[in-house]
Amino acid sequence: MKSLIKVALSGVALMALSVTGQTASADAIADIKAAGVLKVGVKADYKPYGFLDPSGKIIGIEPALAQDVADKLGVKLELTPVVSSNRMQFLEQGKIDLMIATMTDKPDRRKVVSIVDPNYYSSGTNILTPKTFGFKTWEDLRGKPVCGIQGAFYNKATSANYGAKIVAFKGTSEAYAALRQGSCVAFVYDDSAIVAKTNDPAFADFEMPLPTIDDAPWGLAVKLGEDGFNKLMSEMIVGWHKSGRILALETKWGVANTPFAKAMHDKHK
Amino acid sequence: MNNRPYKTDMPVLLTVKPMSGDKFNFKLKLWHVFPVLLFVLFYSTFGFADAGPAKSSVFETLVRWMPLLLKGFLFNLLISVLAMGVGTAVGATLGLGQISQSAWVRKFAWFVTQFFRNSPWLVLLFFAMFLLPFEVEIVGVKIPLPDWLKATIGLSLPVMANVSEIVRGAVKSLPSGQWEAAESLAYTRTQTLWLIILPQCVKRMLPPWMNLYSILTMATVLASIVGVSEVMTLTGQVLSSEGGRPELLAPFYSFVLLLFFAYCYPIARFTVHLEKRFAVIS
Amino acid sequence: MDIFFEWFRHLYDTTGINLPFIYDAYDRNRMIDGFWMTIKLSITCLFFSTIIGMVGAWLQGSPLKWTRRIVNGYIQVFRNTPPLVQMYFFYFAIGSLLPKVATDYGGEAPLLGSFAWAAISLSFFAGAFNVEIFRSGVEAVPKSTIEAAEALGFSRLQIYRDITLPLALRVSLPALNNNLVNLVKTTTLAYAIAVPEMLYEANQIWSDNVNVTEMMIFLLLAYFFLVGILVWGMNRWEQSMKIPGYGE
Repeated sequence: MKSLIKVALSGVALMALSVTGQTASADAIADIKAAGVLKVGVKADYKPYGFLDPSGKIIGIEPALAQDVADKLGVKLELTPVVSSNRMQFLEQGKIDLMIATMTDKPDRRKVVSIVDPNYYSSGTNILTPKTFGFKTWEDLRGKPVCGIQGAFYNKATSANYGAKIVAFKGTSEAYAALRQGSCVAFVYDDSAIVAKTNDPAFADFEMPLPTIDDAPWGLAVKLGEDGFNKLMSEMIVGWHKSGRILALETKWGVANTPFAKAMHDKHK
Repeated sequence: MNNRPYKTDMPVLLTVKPMSGDKFNFKLKLWHVFPVLLFVLFYSTFGFADAGPAKSSVFETLVRWMPLLLKGFLFNLLISVLAMGVGTAVGATLGLGQISQSAWVRKFAWFVTQFFRNSPWLVLLFFAMFLLPFEVEIVGVKIPLPDWLKATIGLSLPVMANVSEIVRGAVKSLPSGQWEAAESLAYTRTQTLWLIILPQCVKRMLPPWMNLYSILTMATVLASIVGVSEVMTLTGQVLSSEGGRPELLAPFYSFVLLLFFAYCYPIARFTVHLEKRFAVIS
Repeated sequence: MDIFFEWFRHLYDTTGINLPFIYDAYDRNRMIDGFWMTIKLSITCLFFSTIIGMVGAWLQGSPLKWTRRIVNGYIQVFRNTPPLVQMYFFYFAIGSLLPKVATDYGGEAPLLGSFAWAAISLSFFAGAFNVEIFRSGVEAVPKSTIEAAEALGFSRLQIYRDITLPLALRVSLPALNNNLVNLVKTTTLAYAIAVPEMLYEANQIWSDNVNVTEMMIFLLLAYFFLVGILVWGMNRWEQSMKIPGYGE
């Protein structure tokens, strides 16, 4: 009986431990400065926004923006690779302080994380497809297998509104490989990445024919409730647009300057 | 297995000629590395013929990324060792719980074992990743739980259940005469268990335990699905950095297969050796 | 039926327990499709891996040295490499080498889709274990029985089919059950090559609705239920196939 009580008590203690896991803090900036490191979640498989170099470091447009924030706060930068299906959860749990991970700004996402205004980037949904198919409208995809990335929000829209059969993979390399094989007729993804891909000589016989839909701005986010940090990031974004940093980074990493970035630069000049 | 050729007219007084190569005697020797390397080279030069002039050859690409992939593989091994350690410790306790005299402990241990045995490893991994907090606070000290540690805990759950079954099976396989003899010599139950039964069980448990370790090592690849930076994730990211060239797929995945084979095959041979050594004549 | 579903939407509004795969028709259909896909994949793999096991065990007794070596090589490779990597290798690497067929929308698709490759990969993986299991069963058949059959003029194939296999099957049934249960659990790996089975659909749903906890608990219960039914069925079969006086 005594051992039974011991077991029960330790079980309750373990459960209590797991509940007290989350720590609440209203001032992220002070915490970051005290810890001396800024933890940012970025993509690691989405060239050129975030990808790996041979030494294993994550490089790209978004890591460069993250470095700007770390320099501003005077702390070290720590990049954590995230994917669409876990980036908001990591921020909620406090695993990362800031998330710059190609995330589209949507109202129901604003309920989960604190997205910073103004938006730092924008893209729409489009498809990469072999020229031989000659697709002209989104309706042409009805009933056909279309590759996608697991967790992307436009998967449901593409399949519910246009009747495409979504075949979702974990990462972009698997999706591109499946597209090349012919397992799917198209790859539904952000138009900015697809534009970069069509310039790649390896994908010379692929095109992006459809009108871009759901042109939606991207949002970088901090944890819900971190108003001080949100304000700081807002000022940083305005600074980036004003100085043309986003346009410069786009050119550096080989992306054609997007209309949104140009418009924001003009607006904040 | 005796592979004597069966013939229906039996010539008298012919001596029996056992077939050579009865058992598979393949031992991985150092020189076996060379045919493998040759194969990789040959395949990659075949791939080189397809690549354009500006792209590096497949073999060059593989060699360039090899250090990173090997680091990732070592990480897999670390996860497997840790998960095995934790799983064995908790599983042994559960296994002993399954043979306890108290009905409550028995039922609880049985339920936990069956629950974790019947769940797919991948689902348990997702469970641990999403539902464990990212840091715990014990008496004011914050201990961070990084991704790979959560994956380790997730993988140790099915290990714990399987070890529990192995322990229970081993204890049950001992002849009941051992228990009765101990009882007649006035050993308490705890003494019987620790001094008589368990030492005999260790030998019986070793082959299935090593088999479980082999399965666990191969299951560490599942951690790539939940985002841990181990060898499969790295391979995917590397292929993405190289622009998704399709001719790189087979060499890179073959390389990963080779790494695991090189680690798990010796363990399998050693397990067979142990099984023979500890074979119980029943 | 709609009232039943609507109650769950009410549950979400009041308590925050979100089970969209019940109240939302689109998600519900997805989940049911996923469930049937898991069952379809499991049954296909169970069937083919058992056949591979039986054929492999027979080939292991072949008088030709190279046949035995090839079978043993296959077993060692498939037992000592991760099934996930095997699946990726089959689907991406080998899939791209096979010829393509024309599809009805004017394109060319690979000969085998993701379901086929998942079934092939998992069948070969489980088959490798089954060969070992059947081999130990075959070894348990008394040699005198084989010699007696031979004396009666049975060919090697007839001996294997009519005498060895039925006895070996009954002896190896417990280990076979264990392996088949593991196979059902391993079908979740097909998620990685986009086979729309239960885990894949659950992932889509929790990405859209951010309700990971509920989906995880549902998945655990669903697999517990599936595996429970399989174990019960296999136990019943074991009971009916018991050799009297053996094993107890």
